[in-house]
Formats: sequence, structure tokens, C-alpha cells
Amino acid sequence: MDAAPVLELRGITKQFPGVLANDHVDFDLKRGEVHALLGENGAGKSTLMNILYGLYSADEGEILVNGKPVTFSSPHDAIEQGIGMVHQHFMLIPVMTVTENIVLASEPTTAGVLLDYAGARKQVEEISQRFGFAIDPDARIQDITVGQQQRVEILKTLYRNADILILDEPTAVLTPQEATELFAILKGLVAEGMSIIFISHKLNEVLEIAGRVTVLRRGKRVDTIPREGATEASLARSMVGREVLLRVDKKPASPGGILMHVQDVHVFDDRGLEAVRGVSLDVRAGEIVGIAGVDGNGQTELIDALTGLRRPAGGRIEIEGHDLTNSNANAHLEAGLGHIPEDRQRRGLVLEFSLAENLVLHDYDKQPYSRFGALSPRRILARARKLLTDYDVRGGGPRTPASALSGGNQQKVVVAREVSRNPRVLIAAQPTRGLDVGAIEFVHRQLVAERDTGRGVLLVSLELDEILSLSDRILVLYEGRIVGEYSPDATEEELGIAMTGGRREEAAA
Amino acid sequence: MSSEPGGGNGDLEQPPAPEALATDPTAYAPSVGERLAIYQRAGGIVTPVITAVFAFFMGGIVVAATGHNPWKVYKGIFTGSGLNWFFHVGSYSITIPGTNHHVWFWWNTSIQSNAAYNLQQTLILTTTLSLTGLAVAFAFRCGLFNIGGQGQYLIGVITGLWIGTSFPHLARGPHIILAIVVASGCGAVWAAIAGFLKAATGAHEVITTIMLNWIAYWIGSYLLGQGGPLQNSFNPSLPVSNTVVNSAKLPVFWGNAALQALHIGFFIAIGALIAFWFILNRTTLGYEVRAVGFSPEAARYGGISIARNYVVAMAISGCFAGLAGVLDMLGYQYRFGVLDVQTSQLGFIGIAVALLGRNKAIGVALSALLFAALLYGTSTRSIDQTVLKPELAGNLTLMIQALVLLFVGADVLIMGLWQARRRLLPGRMKPSAPTAEAG
Amino acid sequence: MAARAEPRPQWRGLSPTQTASLGIFLGCFAFLLALPPITARAPWWPALVGIPAVGAGIWAVTSGVKRLGWLAVAAGILGTALGVLATHTSSSNLDYVASWTPLFTAMFAFATPLTFAAIGGMFAERSGVVNIGLEGMMLTGAFFAVLGADKLGNWALGLLCAVVAGGVAALIHAFVSIHLRADQIVSGTAINFLALGVTGYFFIQVYGDNGTPGSIPRVPDVNLSIIDGIPFIGPVFGHLNLMIWLTFVTLIVSYVVMFRTPIGLRIRSVGEHPRAADTVGISVYKIRYAAVTLSGMLAALGGAYLSIGFVGSFNENMTAGRGFIGLAALIFGNWRPFGAFAAALLFGFSTALSFRLAQPWGNAAVLFQALPYVLTLIAVAGVIGRSIPPAASGRPYRKQ
Repeated sequence: MDAAPVLELRGITKQFPGVLANDHVDFDLKRGEVHALLGENGAGKSTLMNILYGLYSADEGEILVNGKPVTFSSPHDAIEQGIGMVHQHFMLIPVMTVTENIVLASEPTTAGVLLDYAGARKQVEEISQRFGFAIDPDARIQDITVGQQQRVEILKTLYRNADILILDEPTAVLTPQEATELFAILKGLVAEGMSIIFISHKLNEVLEIAGRVTVLRRGKRVDTIPREGATEASLARSMVGREVLLRVDKKPASPGGILMHVQDVHVFDDRGLEAVRGVSLDVRAGEIVGIAGVDGNGQTELIDALTGLRRPAGGRIEIEGHDLTNSNANAHLEAGLGHIPEDRQRRGLVLEFSLAENLVLHDYDKQPYSRFGALSPRRILARARKLLTDYDVRGGGPRTPASALSGGNQQKVVVAREVSRNPRVLIAAQPTRGLDVGAIEFVHRQLVAERDTGRGVLLVSLELDEILSLSDRILVLYEGRIVGEYSPDATEEELGIAMTGGRREEAAA
Repeated sequence: MSSEPGGGNGDLEQPPAPEALATDPTAYAPSVGERLAIYQRAGGIVTPVITAVFAFFMGGIVVAATGHNPWKVYKGIFTGSGLNWFFHVGSYSITIPGTNHHVWFWWNTSIQSNAAYNLQQTLILTTTLSLTGLAVAFAFRCGLFNIGGQGQYLIGVITGLWIGTSFPHLARGPHIILAIVVASGCGAVWAAIAGFLKAATGAHEVITTIMLNWIAYWIGSYLLGQGGPLQNSFNPSLPVSNTVVNSAKLPVFWGNAALQALHIGFFIAIGALIAFWFILNRTTLGYEVRAVGFSPEAARYGGISIARNYVVAMAISGCFAGLAGVLDMLGYQYRFGVLDVQTSQLGFIGIAVALLGRNKAIGVALSALLFAALLYGTSTRSIDQTVLKPELAGNLTLMIQALVLLFVGADVLIMGLWQARRRLLPGRMKPSAPTAEAG
Repeated sequence: MAARAEPRPQWRGLSPTQTASLGIFLGCFAFLLALPPITARAPWWPALVGIPAVGAGIWAVTSGVKRLGWLAVAAGILGTALGVLATHTSSSNLDYVASWTPLFTAMFAFATPLTFAAIGGMFAERSGVVNIGLEGMMLTGAFFAVLGADKLGNWALGLLCAVVAGGVAALIHAFVSIHLRADQIVSGTAINFLALGVTGYFFIQVYGDNGTPGSIPRVPDVNLSIIDGIPFIGPVFGHLNLMIWLTFVTLIVSYVVMFRTPIGLRIRSVGEHPRAADTVGISVYKIRYAAVTLSGMLAALGGAYLSIGFVGSFNENMTAGRGFIGLAALIFGNWRPFGAFAAALLFGFSTALSFRLAQPWGNAAVLFQALPYVLTLIAVAGVIGRSIPPAASGRPYRKQ
């Protein structure tokens, strides 16, 4: 490895309204290394890289490429300096072919006017063969897998002769096998002389692929350490600044009868692929069942089926004996299901509605909140007042629009609504995503309280420590199947192996 | 589908993933009306007033640039519209209907005065425009852009005409009620076609309603043309219909009936405005409509059927527009011809009325009054020829309408930015995406 | 979409798609049989040809080719019905209505403004900006073409004025919807009213009660005497207006630009996924501005043809909705130039037909004018296969 850094960021500062995203951050990249940028959601990693790629401009600080200071006013400038970026949300045009996407804005031409598609295709084939990708240059993006789409994104950067590659949370959308393939590709690229910046919040990946790790926390650079000295525990502590595992105080569980019975459910996703392949599980009264798994293994589709938003292609779903397999969302709600959705702003709340209106989202057409189709504002407001006090929602009253509240308080409203309906089974999907510590504790306490009053809770989360601290039983979902059941005493390592497919052979038939 | 600019979660304006097209009608070419949900948060009367003033100002520039005196022109329009009637305060009296008792009143309701006559005509137009405005506004509240008000209005007119010229032996009450119910119903059906297509196939309602407008236009031209089924029975070369029978005409309450007086449709329109407010804010139907308009995804998760609400919202919109049509026909029009079909604009003006009025009942009412005053004040019967030729004045109205629409479209952004600023509170974990400025 | 596992069934060596196309052809032919010049008078002729068409269509549908198959069924049924009807109509009526030469000449004349508007609309839509204001831009072009040709004495300068005026109108729409990020439908509707008001106002201001003078320089016809002798082609194509030929040129150029050049690729990328285009350095704003302005200029040319190419004068609101039919043609043609042109020809044909039908049918012929709108309604609803607009169409773009 060369001594002089190929890229240097000095003192980068970026302020957005209300938040300091980057606070005098230093970062450097040596030639031929993979340097990981680690941090929680919101630590400032993406902002820093967007500045490097010319999508944002820094308020202070400078960027040096091969020792020369440069300014980027658009991605065009960054591309010219040899920097390429693969974003978390792919910047690919679904209806166009792989070749068209790759050569866009740097198209080869015949006679300077016409697009030379044949020549472009040849170039794409050359590059993909050189780096060992297997890509059909004429396929449309909407017809290829996510893993292949990511490779197209990488090819885009290679086509433009990038020698610095930035990958923003690349494995967030990949299955574990695709992730392994990606790492192999990255190693190949490094061997060809590329330098890679790898943004992630997953500790195990970082330890696998990186040579050095820089940790960001709340906009500041905390530390830069070589891989040799790092452990998952030490990295986690730097990332979060405290002991990671939050164990909630809870009594041991005493599960009762089966409240929700799911048998051999199969669900197809929007692309027509089978996302849930025969999942069976039971949720008993008085227990919290946690479903652990990497994003994209069927969690969303499973929840959609259990809440009635998607019809399963096969299997049975029962709540307290009622068959709800082919019923719509309303029927599920009536049968005693509560649902805290993963995206509170888009799905959990109507932001423009007042808190009172949001709180009656499931019951507005029932007595006493309405009669013969006419709403009763007094009763709706009264209920809202009670709930807002009981659940300690701050930031507004019953008439305040939901958009005016902070994320934590918004989630409290959602929880208040769902829990106060006394559901038999409560499904909580990513309930603490994007919340601060206080709000997280509140939500956890609510879930445990629900369980203690004899309800059943199904917790689906991508955060392992949340699953471990809350669940009475843990199921691991991998590639649409439940591959193992664990007690909360299981180690993260055990769960991690199962989540990444290590227990595939032992999956329930 | 986030409707606020500035974004709350960093994912801005991505086109929907192709997979989403298959299952969700709102993901497919999402309605532009959804973004107009911002109106509902932009409270206050200041912005619409500024918009209107600005539009009038720009119109005045055009007038001045072509050698006329804008001040005189606007004053002429004001007098012509009859709004000056409100300013003649004095000691008058009105007779309580049905008795001979006089009561002191501070405005001169005598039907002799010019201002009173002008005001009656303006109020006649206000009746129509508030209803066509409601037609657009109600659909907007559900996130749908109903440009089809013109077609729905025409359907109401024609159906009202047909019933009004048939059944000559029906008593007055039932005849009128029959016409109103059937015409509003037909308007509702005409609009529901677009709603149904959107719900079932995702067809964009702007396109479908525009197409339906023109289909109604040609159906009307056929029905009233030479040899058409609704053509009059006494002069085959005149492409005009028969006159509505007397038993179907709406009673008038102010003005000389022989010279087009203000009919009770005015009160029906007021009732419609109240009904609009009540349905949206005090019924479960309105709750669902608003939820779907603000956030279709949240509505779906709450168990609300988006498809059903699309159809119902469009039907109610069409009902308002159809009602406008039948009230006009039975209230003062009494007959219709191919030329009337082809030059009618009242449905289109409803778009500007609704947008300026922020899709709210009170706003629609006031903005309908404004446009009606403008429309009548610049008409041939009323504008002073020396100040501005009536043909020019008519085109001036069109320009002002256009300017209102342009500025309304732009000021949405300003309101949106202002609202977005208030929402970026400190203490949230994710850094909010920056509030983008234009350019 | 998953690939099909089994190969499609064949019929006598014809794939289902080919069979369906054959069915469509037979259905049309069934109708044509009864019309001049063949004018078969026995009703079983159309039936003989039309029923196999229906059969071919059904077979195609069951083999999986739904769209073309149903079209073939429809063509078969319609062709048979219309053919039988035609055999019962008087010969003279048939001769009058189905006089192909005037019909086709009129078809081209009616289709020209539609095509210009549609292609203009294509550029704007494909860059992601909905342009409902085509009608207004067309009207602007019509008026300023007359004004320019009259005051400057030359039809070419008239065209230039029209193009500039249309571009200005489009720039307003572009500024309000791209820079101010206003709603594009509202902005487009505003342009329509604005054009109506401005052209009306200045028309009266300048030309007063007498209207435009009768001697406005007009765009000339292109007389190709060489082909006069060829039957049918000669009379139809021999005396078309210059602007109709310009339409053909515009079609080809726009196809090449949109689908075979880098700039076209970039325009389409901006319309499908502007953020992706932005991240590779394409200026979304610039492309959209250019595309919208171009759409205004093309629509204005369409209007100019109407006023100084076809009619020879200007009247208030003379476009009378043609801009919307052009938009309909664009949608019906799936946002591609030749598809839009085919749709424009179809709509132009139905308009021409409606005028001819006025003689035997009288007033009812007017209903034919609604046909373009009905067809577009069906197309948008996806009955004949879905019309999918560019993915980012209608959404303003926010640059970070």
C-alpha cells in the first residue's frame, strides 16, 4: 500500500436547518485500501460522502485529491477526478437497458450526433469481463435482480474510469449470498488498484472487508483505527458512546393460549417473486415473539399478509380461531389485530390530520365516534385528550397537526392509538426506527406492558439488540423461511449466523 | 407519497418502483392533486387576496399598455358588477314575503335601480360558479384533479333541459325536484366514470376528465343541432332547444322575472356550500376522503378503501357540477343551443374559483363572487363602451383568470416552504434533508 | 417478468402475433369490400372475410397475445357489421362518403396540427413536464402567425413569429412549473386561458370588427406534377401544403433525436428518473426548459398551419380543442412519434369522415367528432394495453 493518501477530506463541516450534519470531519483514503465509514443512522456518513461526490457543498473544509485541492460543484466534477459513487437507493432508470444506464451522459457517438449503441455495448462487455461481472448488456434494469443492479451501478463508475469508489450501505438491499459476491468483487477491484470507501452501520461486514475503520457519531469523527485492533464490541462502543445492549426490565413470560396462528403462509412480492415461503408461527397470549433477520428476507411481505394488506398465495392465518387468510385490512383490525407500521410518517399517520383525527383512524366509523355517518367531534376530542395525557405525548394538543410533532412523539401517538384499542395481537414493525433514546425506552415499555396484560406481541425488527432484549422467543427469518427458534439467551453470533444463512440446512421443512 | 417539500425522511421525489405499479392504483402516475394537499395547511385569507390583487394588477398593465385607463376599466367593472350596491347605505324597507308588512332595511332592494339589477346578475353567476367551484374543490380534497367540471355541468344542463321541457303536466314542486335530482345524478355519473377508471385501472383523472369534457361537448352539439333529438319543434334551421315549461322554472325572489331575476337556486347553492363543509368535516365519508387526499398510504393502512373513495369523491364532485347546470337551466337560461354548448366556460372557471378559494367552502364562496363580478362586470350588457370594448373586456377576464391560476400555482410553493420550515424541529435523530430553494 | 417456459403454439407456421395481425387485416378488409371501389353488394361477402378474422383473434387471445388478439376480434366484428350495413346503403351515398381521395387529403390536413402538437407534447412529457397547455400554445401560434405574416408581409416570417410566440408561452409554463415548482396541470390550464385571453384581446385590438384581411400571405402548397399520373397517390400527395411535408420531416427528425441520439437518451432519463440523471451530471433544469420550450414552438407551428396554411385567417379560439386532441394522440400513440402520428392520422380521418357523413346522416355525424376522445379514454384505461407515461412525468424536481 502506498503511503500518500489518494484522497483527503479536512475539516468538513455541513449545517442543515436544525442539525449539524458534519462537524469538522477529517478523513483520508490510501491507494488500494478499503476504508470503512461506520456510524449509526443519522451520524453524518451519507452527508459526508454526498459532499465528496459533489451533490452537496460543504460550509467549511477542503477536499484534496492526490494532494491537490479541488472543489466540486456537481457530480460531474467529482467524476472527472475519478470518484464514483454507488448510492443506497440506486440511481438507475428501470425502463432503460444496462448499457443505456451505464453510458448515460458519457455516450459514445457516431459522427458526433447519433448514439453509438453497438460501440457502447462493446465497451460495457469489455469492462464487465475485465472485472469478472456477469451482466447482460441489453437487459432492462427492471428485469434484473437487485444484486445485478448494484453491479450495474459499479460498472457505471468503472466506465467513467473511477479509481475511488464510494459504496453507501451496499448490503442493505442484498441477500447474504449477494453480499458475499459483492465482497469478492470488491477484493477484485482493489487488486486492480482501486481505492474503496465503504459506508455501513453493520459491524460484522466492516470487520470482514475493511482495512481501516473511521467511526462517526453525531456528525463528529470519533476514531480511525486499523482493522487489526478492532473488535465488534469496541466499534459498537465508539459508534454509540455507551454500552450497546439495552436490556429492558421485565418479568419472565407466562404464555397462555394461542392468539394468532400462522400456518405455511406463502406470499409473493410486488415483482412476482416468492418472498415468504411457508412460514408457520404462533403468538401466544402474554409473550413477545421477535422475528430477526436481514432486511429483504420477507419481513415486509409477511407483515403485509398478517395485517391484511396483501393476500397470501397459500396457507392460513387465524386470530383467536377466526380465519383471516383472505380478508382485507379492516377485517384484521376488527378481529383484534393492532399494527404499528414501520414508516410512521407515511403509513402510521396522516400528517396533515390533527392528533385527534389520527387517533380515530381505525374507529371513526364506529360508535361513539360517529353515528349514521356523522362524526361526533366532542367525543373524538375527549378521547384524544385522554390518550395524549396517558401516553405523555408532547408537542401539541388534540387539534395540532401530526406534522408538528417530533418523531418520538409521533410514534407515541401511533402506539397510543394501537394499544388503546385493546388488540389481542399487536404487530410492531421497526417500532423504534429513527427515535432517540427516551422514545425508544417508552416504546419498549409499552410493548412489555402489552405482553404483561395478556396480549400477544409480534416484534419484527432489524436491530438485534432490540430483539434480544424484548423477545421471549426469537424466530429467525431467512429467505422467506423460519430457519430457527431461539431463546433470548442466544448470543448475537448464533443469531447472526442463522440470519445470514448458516443454519439453512436445519430449516424447518 | 409525501406531500410536503423539503422532505422529512431524505427520500425525495423518487418515481415509484415498477413493482409498486402492480398493486397500488395511487402509485401509478400519482395524481397531481395529491400535492395540492398543501392548500389545506395554508391557512388564512392573506395569500389568496394577494394572489388576486397581483393578478388584477398584471391585467391592469396589459390594459394600460394598449392605451386604456386601467383605473377606469376596473371601476367600470366594479359598477357593472353591481357590487357598488352594497355601498349605497340608507333608509329603505323591504316587504316580508307573503304579507304586506314593511321592515326597515339599510340597502335599497327596489328592483328599479341599476346597481340592484347588476348585483342580481352577478349573484346569478355566483350561484353557478360556487357550485362548479365546489365540484373541483371536493375532488381536490380527495387528491383528485377534476378538470371535468365543464362536461359535468353540460350534462346537468342538458338533462335539466330535457326534463324541463318534458312532463308538462307535472306540478311545479315535483317537476323541479325531479329535474334537479336527475340532472345532479347524471353529472355525478359522468364524473364517476373518471373516478372508476382511476380506481380500477389507474388512468390519470386529468386525462379522462378532459376527454369526458369533449365527449359531453359533442353530445350536446348533436342533441341540440339541426335534427337533433332535443332541438326545438318550431324552427328546424335553428340549432336551439325548446323553452323549459313554466312549471319547471325556479321561483325568483329578487328582481323582475321578465329580465332575468335572482332565483332560489341562490339558496340551494348556499345550502350546497354548507353541505360541502359538513360532509368533509363532520361525516365519516369526509374523513375518509380527506385521509385519502392527504396520505393514501396511511389511509390504506387504516383500512380505508382508496378505490371506493376515488369513485365517491368524483361522483359527489360531478353532482355539484350537474346541480350548477340544472339550476342555471331552470333558473334563468330556459333554453340552450349548440352555440351555448360550444361557448360555455362556467365549468372551467370553477377551477380557478376552487384554487383561489383554497378548496374550502368559504373560500370557494368568496372567490366565486369575485369571478362572477368580473365575468358580469365585463359582459356586453354591463360594461361602459367608452371605457373598454366588451369584447376586449371579456378577454381581459380570461387573462385575469389565467394570471390567478399562475400565481396560485406558484404561491403554493411559498406557503409550502413556510410550512416546511416550521416542521424542521430540533431533536430528531436523522438529519433532515435541506429545505431546497428554487434553482 | 418471468420468461415463458413453453414455446408459443403455432398455426400453420404463423405465430399468434402474426395470426392476430392477419385477423386485424381481414377485419378491415371485410369492411373495405363493401366500399368503393370494390363495392360488393351481397352481404355475405363481408361476413365471409370478417368471421375468420374473429376466429383468428380468439385463437390469438387464447394463445396469450391478448392485446392484438382482442383488436382482431373487434376488427372482425366491426368490419363484418359495418360491411353488411354498407351493402344496405345506397350506392350514391357510399360513393360520396367513401371518396377516398378527398378523405385522405383532408385526413392529412386535419392531422397536421395534431401531429405538431403531439410531437411537441412528446418532448415535454418525456422530459417529465406535463404540458396541458398545448392548446394555448397552438392558439398563440395561430394568431401570431397571422399577425406576423400580415405585418411583415411574408409567410415565412409569419411562421417565425408563431414559433417565437409559442416559445414564449412555453417559457412561462416552464418557469412556473420547473423553477417555481408549481403544479404543472394548473400552470398548463393557466396558459390555455392566457392564450385565449391574449390572442382574443389583441385580435380585437388590432383587427377590430372586420377581422383579419383576406390577403394574408399563406404557406404555399407543394405541387408535385410528376406523380399526378399515379392513381390515388397522385391526387392525394400531389398538392399537399408545405407544412404537411414539414410534418413528415419533423416526425423523422424527432424520432431520430429522441431514440437515436445522446440528447434524446438524456431527455428520456430526465423524464424517467431525474435524480439518477442528476447524479451523472445531467442538468435536469436545462433539459426540461429546452424540452418545454420546444414543445411550445412545435405546437405553435401546428397552430400556424391552421391559420396561415389552411384557413387563411384567424378567429377567436380557432383551435377549438385541437391541442387536446393532439395530447390525446400522443397518449394513444404511447408517447412515441410514429405512434402519435398514426393516432393523429386516425383522428384526422375520423374528423374528415364526420364531415362527409354529414350529407347522408345529417346531424348525427357530429358525434364522430367525439371519437378521438372516446378512443383515448379507452387507451388510457388500458383496455388496448396500457399507455404508460414517463415515470417522473408531472413531478417537479428538487435539486439538492
